[in-house]
This record gives sequence, C-alpha cells and structure tokens, in this order.
Amino acid sequence: MAETLIPPTQTPGAFGAYVKNVRDTAKSFWEGMSVTLSYMFRKPITSQYPDRVPVPVQHTIPARYRGFLEVDMDICTACQACERACPISVINIDILKGDGKTTPKLRMERFDIDIGKCMYCGLCVEPCPTGAIQHTREFEGAAMHFNNLTLRFVPDPLVPVVPYKPPKGAESFPRKPLGEITRKLIKAWDAPPPPFPSMEEQAKADHGKPKAAGGLDVSAMGRQLAARALQVKEDKPKLQKVLEEAMAGTDCGDCGYPDCFGYSDAIAQGKETSTEKCAPGGADSKAMLETILVTLKSGVIPGAPPPAPAASPGAESPAPAAAPAAPQGPPLAQTLSKDELFKVVLDAMAGTDCGDCEYPDCEGYSKGIVYEGQADLGRCAPGGEDTRVKLYEIMLGTKPPPK
Amino acid sequence: MQGFLDNLIRGWGHDPATWPWTQFVYLFFMGLFSFLVINFAAISGGIFSWAERRVAARMQSRVGPNRVGPAGFLQWIADAVKLLFKEDLIPDEADKVLFRAAPYFMMVGFACVFVALPFSHRLIIADMNVGIFYILAVTALIVVGIIMSGWSSNSKWSLFGAIRSAAQIVSYEIPAGMALMIPVLLAGTMSTQGIIRAQGAWPWQWFVFDNPAATAAFFIFFTSALAEGNRTPFDLPEAESELVSGYNTEYSGMRFSYFFLVEWGNLWVMSALAVTMFMGGWQVPFLPAARLDALAGWPAFFAEVASLAVFALKTLFFVFVVMWLRWTLPRIRVDQMMNMCWKYLVPASFVAVLFVAGWMLVVRAAPLLATAMHLVLAGAAGAAVVLFVLRVARNLRDTGDKFDFTSNW
Repeated sequence: MAETLIPPTQTPGAFGAYVKNVRDTAKSFWEGMSVTLSYMFRKPITSQYPDRVPVPVQHTIPARYRGFLEVDMDICTACQACERACPISVINIDILKGDGKTTPKLRMERFDIDIGKCMYCGLCVEPCPTGAIQHTREFEGAAMHFNNLTLRFVPDPLVPVVPYKPPKGAESFPRKPLGEITRKLIKAWDAPPPPFPSMEEQAKADHGKPKAAGGLDVSAMGRQLAARALQVKEDKPKLQKVLEEAMAGTDCGDCGYPDCFGYSDAIAQGKETSTEKCAPGGADSKAMLETILVTLKSGVIPGAPPPAPAASPGAESPAPAAAPAAPQGPPLAQTLSKDELFKVVLDAMAGTDCGDCEYPDCEGYSKGIVYEGQADLGRCAPGGEDTRVKLYEIMLGTKPPPK
Repeated sequence: MQGFLDNLIRGWGHDPATWPWTQFVYLFFMGLFSFLVINFAAISGGIFSWAERRVAARMQSRVGPNRVGPAGFLQWIADAVKLLFKEDLIPDEADKVLFRAAPYFMMVGFACVFVALPFSHRLIIADMNVGIFYILAVTALIVVGIIMSGWSSNSKWSLFGAIRSAAQIVSYEIPAGMALMIPVLLAGTMSTQGIIRAQGAWPWQWFVFDNPAATAAFFIFFTSALAEGNRTPFDLPEAESELVSGYNTEYSGMRFSYFFLVEWGNLWVMSALAVTMFMGGWQVPFLPAARLDALAGWPAFFAEVASLAVFALKTLFFVFVVMWLRWTLPRIRVDQMMNMCWKYLVPASFVAVLFVAGWMLVVRAAPLLATAMHLVLAGAAGAAVVLFVLRVARNLRDTGDKFDFTSNW
C-alpha cells in the first residue's frame, strides 16, 4: 500500500511519490470494493447438492457414465459371460440345471452384483449378447450396512428365473428403461443394518440351540457330503467339488491356497491333510471335512443310523465305486446319423448362444463338432463341466481328461 | 443512567439523596445493565460471525452457512454450543495463571467500552464527561490481554502474534486518538452524547462533512480502528497463513470463543464509535435533540425507538463495510503496516487537528463559509456514492451477469 512500485519512465519527487501513494490507495479501494460488492449481488455458482438442485444430478451426468450396474432379467440369457468377464468376481450367478424337457435346461437362482466391490471397469457390459447388463447413471452408494450393497436381481432364489431365448437374428432386445430396476433395488439400501449382537447376547443365543442356529445341521450335512464323496471317491474333480461344499466358499485365501478350489483340490489330491485351515468356515467346516476324510478312509459313514447299503460294498475297493460312471457300449457318435447326432450335441449345450466358443451360437458350435470335425469339446462356458462330460461321452465314449 | 434511576426512586416516593437503599438500587441496576450489555455484545458478536460468513461467501460466489435455521441464521448458536462443550486445553509448558486470565482481560476491556457507548437518545449506561477519553483508555486493556495470551502460551506463533499486535495497537492508537480529537474540538465536549447532540440528523450536519480535515480524520480513524481491532488488512496478529492463528493459537473451547467474541464484538464497537463521532449518531430527522428531550409518554417512547433504529442502522452499515473490506483487501506486510501508520496517518492526523483548529477560527469570523463547506462536502459525498453505485452496476453488466440477490440462498 505504501511503497508501491514507481514506473521507471516517470520519477516523481519525494512529495509526488507520497501523493501518488495516497491516490493509489484511494483508487484501489474504489476499484476493489466495487468489484467485491458487484459479486455480492450475483447468484452464487454453488449447486447445493443433493437436496437443492433443480434436476437430480443423475440426469445431468453424461449418458455413458459408469454408475451402478443393472441387469434386466427379462432379456438375460443366463450365458454368464458377465460373470466370467468380471476380473474381481463381483457378479455371482447360480444356475439350476434341468433336463430341458420337463424343466427348463437353465434357470437362474441367483444373480447378485456386489456393488461394494465393483470397480466399474465395464468389462461385464461388453460381452453381454443382449445388453441386459448395463451401467446406469446411479452413483449414490451410501448404505446403512455394507451387506445392503449387494444388488439381487433374482429377488427370490425359490422362484428361479427362466433365461431369455433371443429370437434368431435379432439385433435389438426389449430392454426396460435404463436405471429403473437399479433405482428400485437401491431403495432397500436405506434399510436398517442387521442387529449387531454383543458378545454376551451372541453367547446366550448360541447356548440355547447347539449349532443348528442358522438352519444348518452340521453333522447331517457332513454325513450327506461324506456319502456323496464316497460315490465319487476316485473322480478327483468331483471329489474336489464335494470338499469345496464343506468350505465357507469366500475365497478368502486364509488357508494358504488362492481360493477354496485350491484348498479343496489339494485335499482331494491327497496333498493336504489338515482340515482346519478354513477360517471363515470355522469349526463347522472342520467337522464336515473330517467326517468326509474319515469316511473316505474307512468307507463307512460315521454316526449314520443304519449302515447305508450303497456304501457298504465299497469297503476299501475302489473298482465298484468307479464302475457305474463309465458308459457302456460304443459312443453315440458312431451309432447315430449326423443329423440326429447334431440334435443330441445341441441338446447337451447350455443353449444361451453366448458365443464364447467362438462360434456365433450353439448351433454353430454343434455343427462344428458334428460336421466339421471340431475336436475341442470344452468350449461351452455356460454349460461348464456338465456339458463337457456329456460331449465327451457322446463323441468319444470316454470321460474327459481333467482340465 | 443515574438520572433515570433517581427519577425511578423519586417515583417510589423517596429522595435519592437521603433514602438509605439508594446505593443498593444502584448496585442492582449496575448488575442488570452489565448483564444486558455483555449479552448484547455476545449475541451481536455471534450474529456478526454468521453475517460475515454469509457476506464473504456471496462475495466469493459461494453460499455460506445456510442450513441451521432460516438462511443459516442459527449457525452461530451451533458454533457457540460446540465451543462450550469442547475441552479447555491448557498446554503443559504454558504459564497457567496468565493463560487462564488472558481471555478475561480481553473481555473486560471489550465490555467496558459499552459503558460509554450510546445506543439511542437516552439509552447509554453512563454519559461520562470524559467519555472518549475513557473509551480510548479501556480499549488498551485488550492489548494487555493479547500480550498476556501470547506470552503465556509459550508458543512462538502466539508470541509473534502478540508482539505484532502490541506494535500495531501502540502505533495506531496515536492517529486514532488524534482523529477523535477533531469531533471533540468541533463539539467542545468529550461526552459521547454531547458530541452526537452537537451534530444533526442530515448528512450535511455531520462532523464528517464539517470540513476536509474532518473528512480525512474520519478515514484516519476508521483505518486505525481496523488496525486496533485486528481486522483485515491489518490482521497480522492472527495471520492464519503465517502464524497459525496468532496469539490465540493454543486456546480451545470457551476461552478461544472469548477471543472471537471480542473480535466480532469489536465490529460493533468500532462502527458505533465512528457513527457517534462523525456520522450524527442517533439523531432522527425532523426531531432535533432539544425536541426529543421535551417529549413525554408514548411519543417519547416511539422517538426513542426511532433514534435507536437510526443508530443501529448506521452502525450495521459500517459493520458491513468492515466485512466488505475484509473480503476485498489482502493482508499488508508488517513494514507496510508501520509505514502506513507513521508516514501517512500520524502526520495527516496532526495536520488535520491543526487545520480544524484554524478552520474553527475562520468559521467564527464567517459562519456562512461553514454552511457552504457542509453542503459542498455532503454533495460531493452524495455524488461519490452515485458514481460508486454506477460503477458496481457497470461491473455487473460488463461481465454479462445480472443483479440477483435472492436466488440460491
């Protein structure tokens, strides 16, 4: 204010500089205060998100914004391409398989997307053949509990959803307006969190009803699994599946294996003997795994009320247990005509026309196998292991080699 | 106020000079008035803290606190309650007695000013014949509180702030005092009510437009008052970007709120003082002080309310100007602050006092000259206001914006 710079062109004397400083001060007050006052009479540019905005912010962000995912179950083909595409396994689809005649071949019991984990990469949207899964513009993810953040697109697992069968050659599909479904689902996020029991309350609750609290009878389930394990004793991949069922299935990695598959496979292969590594499963998983392993060793299900007749002949002799799995006679490929074979092969596939097999649809793949000599029988991703086993039986009459 | 109490006692049928309970009545009303005045200071300080934030926000194209109560008006209560419930921390290395005492020195120095500060025609705690002198004296207690808090905190930031503040207030006390001498010269009294009575209701009757030196003295006083109140552009003692928070860095909770109470309450003090000394105080148009004195009953009451309103409106305008300045000017450097005081304000205030003394002799010889000067200066000020308004309108228009004060509150 006092010692302002004097331009070199004009060098006023001491008094001139003094007067100039006073004049500059007055002038800068004049200018500065007129500017600030004029700003006081303007509209503030702040938009008062979230409650005092003229339009919801969701409507003002770009159309290609990657918000919460949404699945229109009416046009979902159950191909599970999104589930396979997801790099962090946020999408969980449970498929109920039927025979294709009395019950639909595929039904979806569960289609969950854990928005709490989703990283909005959009890789699930790209492979979707019908555009059922899309990013909405919803983004407000505050919830009362993190469990609420899972979007369940099949509302009731007891009412499985039958997949959509896209018409041949269709290029557009009747999708519901984007955002409608998710908006409805995220309303539930305001639901109160589940009660958080204190240690005392938890202990009291546990004391009254031993272990059956969650509707899960561990010893009965252990015996059930053991019976199944006994049947597939020699089939390591199947045995692995049974073992995995005894685990918590969280893929936490606490056991030292990357996921539940790794741990259960190691036990199935006999490389792992410890049963207590499943931390999320805790005592339940340990008890079940022990039951299975003891059963496998002795051939008798422990604690089973009557000694099951199915299990008794298999005492220490693996041959009878493995025998029923092998098909009899030559494979169907050698007995049927090509056209009939094509129908059988097509029937064995999941029928979602997902295109993962690198053929445009299921018919293409079937034609490839039957007419064009396609030797790779493991390409049907939605059908999974079941389809692979069926195709091997049909085409070669053998069991498929382990993956 | 003593006259009011004596009248009250006479109304009860006693003679205040001989009635034995007179002193107790005085004591009771002293307590009552100090309670009222301190609460007025605290509440106005709180409201100013909200107003300043809203003003600052709008000047920066923001909205400001607008959620607590209508237009965020109750924000200051929320803040005060928060501060009340915070822990009152005292640093280990602090001088604990001084540290605890410092805020009270501030509060006392601040509250004492209100004793001689008028509110309306009759509303003043004590119309002392040394009013201005008293005000200048008790405000010095604030410096004591600031230096105490800075020293006892045992923190370098606090100490720097306190030393800056001491240097600043000691320096600016001189031009402020000299500038206040001019209304005293013109009115011939140091009583605050007497100075207001010597002026009139209309701008050309105000001391600020009495002569060019008085106009200069008003600006000198206002600048010095800003510096003494630690307001921007002289907020060096609590420069946030340099000294964390200055002398009150180590304080928290209620003690901290005392400092801020004084800071915002000071807005009223400095503005009320400027209005009293230069801007005609509570003078109501068409109702000269002599006629106000003569009124009785309901007309007297309404005239009193009118004078209170006039005084409050003028004061609030200057409170706004202080806020407005804060959000316009950047903080000046310490050397600039000192230069400004000793090289510009101090000599100018001395010259102004001498000029006014001479001018009064001239006016005594030629009274018409005084009236002409009043009208010319008031007219020039009116023209400046019009030009300024046009300038503000042009600033708005040139940026393509339009006047919009009501939306997005």
